Amino acid sequence: MTRRLDGYGLWRVAGLEMRRIDLGVALVLLGVAAALIVGSLTVGTTPVALGDLMPSSGLDDAQHYAVLSLRLPRALTGFLAGAAIAASGAMLQSLTRNPIADPGLLGLAQGSLLAILLALIFLPSLPQGWLPLIGCAGGLGVALFLARLTAQSRSGDALALLLLGLAVETTLSAVTSVVILYAPTDLSFAISVWLAGSLYQAGWGALGAMLPWLALSLPLLFVAGPMLRLLELGEEHAHALGLGLRGARLTVLLATVLLTSAAVTVTGPLVFLGIMAPHIAGFLLPSSGRARLLLSGLVGGIFVVAADCLSRGLGTDIGLPIGLCLTLLGVPVFIVTLRLRMLRRTL
Amino acid sequence: MKRHLLLPLVLSAQLAAPFAYAEGRTLTDDTGRAVVVPERPQRVVVTHDPLLGVPILDIGGRLVGSYGRTDDGGSLAAVDFIDTVLGKDAVSERPKGVGPSGQMDFEKLRALDPDLIIGSEYNSGIVEQLAQIAPTYLQNTGTGRVRGFEVQQSLAGVLGMEDAFAARMSEYQESLAETRAALPARTEGQSYLVVIAHDDLRLVGETSGVIQAMEDLGYARAKVEGLGEGKGLGSNFAVPLSPELFMRLDPDVLVLMNSYTGTERDETSTRAKLDRIAPGWARFLRPETEGRTIYIDSAKVSTPSIASAEHALEAVRSWAAD
Repeated sequence: MTRRLDGYGLWRVAGLEMRRIDLGVALVLLGVAAALIVGSLTVGTTPVALGDLMPSSGLDDAQHYAVLSLRLPRALTGFLAGAAIAASGAMLQSLTRNPIADPGLLGLAQGSLLAILLALIFLPSLPQGWLPLIGCAGGLGVALFLARLTAQSRSGDALALLLLGLAVETTLSAVTSVVILYAPTDLSFAISVWLAGSLYQAGWGALGAMLPWLALSLPLLFVAGPMLRLLELGEEHAHALGLGLRGARLTVLLATVLLTSAAVTVTGPLVFLGIMAPHIAGFLLPSSGRARLLLSGLVGGIFVVAADCLSRGLGTDIGLPIGLCLTLLGVPVFIVTLRLRMLRRTL
Repeated sequence: MKRHLLLPLVLSAQLAAPFAYAEGRTLTDDTGRAVVVPERPQRVVVTHDPLLGVPILDIGGRLVGSYGRTDDGGSLAAVDFIDTVLGKDAVSERPKGVGPSGQMDFEKLRALDPDLIIGSEYNSGIVEQLAQIAPTYLQNTGTGRVRGFEVQQSLAGVLGMEDAFAARMSEYQESLAETRAALPARTEGQSYLVVIAHDDLRLVGETSGVIQAMEDLGYARAKVEGLGEGKGLGSNFAVPLSPELFMRLDPDVLVLMNSYTGTERDETSTRAKLDRIAPGWARFLRPETEGRTIYIDSAKVSTPSIASAEHALEAVRSWAAD
């Protein structure tokens, strides 16, 4: 339900407090995402035109299979995974007050990746549904380790958290490289593809395995939103305003772990999305708290679906990984965004 | 698309059982899944060219598709294992590709209309998608106890081609006898090792034709101090080997190979690669200084097929003649 909150220019959407303009931009982004997802149903080896998707046309067997068994779950999975990673990046940037923080930089993504990697090597027949749980355990291990190390003082830990995270990330990346080096050749190759970012395993099963973890993270996101708004003021101010820093830090890290693990299991790390998407969302509309998470998530999802379209549309034998397509698409937009932001400041 | 249209379609896709297959044999694959396989599969697609495709083609099987090939049947890898192992004229119709490396194109796969898909244990993550297209049998190729051309024998059973496999085995036995006769001394009780030089050195494990050939000749795998069985994170194909450990190897026969990821795989290129990885090896490695090394083209002998084992036997005969 949506209703106007008098005097504040805020709108309440199912309990999600947002400015009217936040809501407007979110709706526009949602429209873009929906259009892209529908458009992505027409990209692939089996010819499917937009008109074929109309109720009056009807799909033949091959089209039915391509659209409903492959492309639709792939697009939805890509969108949700992109949204999850982007929202994680936004949360960590607010938590650390650092514009380059993302799940990869703090080692949370690497913790998930390494755990999943070891499961793939030693338990190759493990059902796919278990992988998010294993990834979550890996990411949670890193989060608890970081939380424990930074739990001693009340404030001023944002930089320490970032530096410790960087150290953990470097260590886990080194271990991951060694594991890949010593893994069976075929698996090493498959892992390399996954690490480069890939959606080719993203069927309904993968989507189903991802959804419970995303659902679990929603209440945390809801709680974390107002905390992030305060944390963006600085930890001392947030504490002075009554925010329990340890609890806030743990809530944000836990939400980030859940979101990142769920996404990374299917798509791989999708490097840079967690940094890029919140900045682009921030350029479209400066916001904070829940609105920032929502807008960042929508931008992240849109970029992943667009990257997937580019990957599938490039040709039959080439098949660039999504991660690379994401970089090809996103980085120019990111650079232009930063440039425009700089210009905006000088004017 | 309108929600009222999309939802039933999604639900129907979710609830629809996998394709209704024609009657056939129910087999249990290497991951423990029950698979209904046609009596005589005619349109087989494999997800690995050298480890699954070559063994099938070697016994006269037919493939309509193979992962790692282009749309027109060319190889995406540096080495075309079908050409290299079986010969350019061995297969009349090349299996078509099912997508670029690393990203299988399920739409392309379905367009080939397979009646059986054979994958490896590493495809368990996509087995649901594969099984929607055709019955999917997962064959162990790198984990568990897979030895020599056991993979080929197992695949012959899956395809109902046991007789073809037996016929190829007879040919192989003849080649084996010929090789034994060409060797100057009895090989029973003698030891061997096979080392492949990628960017690092790897001790070749159990899943390859060259291993089968050496052991059928009577050689036993030498024990390597400091390298226990099971090293290599579950792989039994190639176990990492440090240059220092390499220098200390002293089996009765040492097979050296250059990586199959390159186009140069002869003795000269193998020596050059070893010079880079373990400088001075030719002066210190005893099998080399005593003429007990055999240089083999890795691409020819690395598949788990009789054809690969025959290439290894041919190389051994050539070494014995020298």
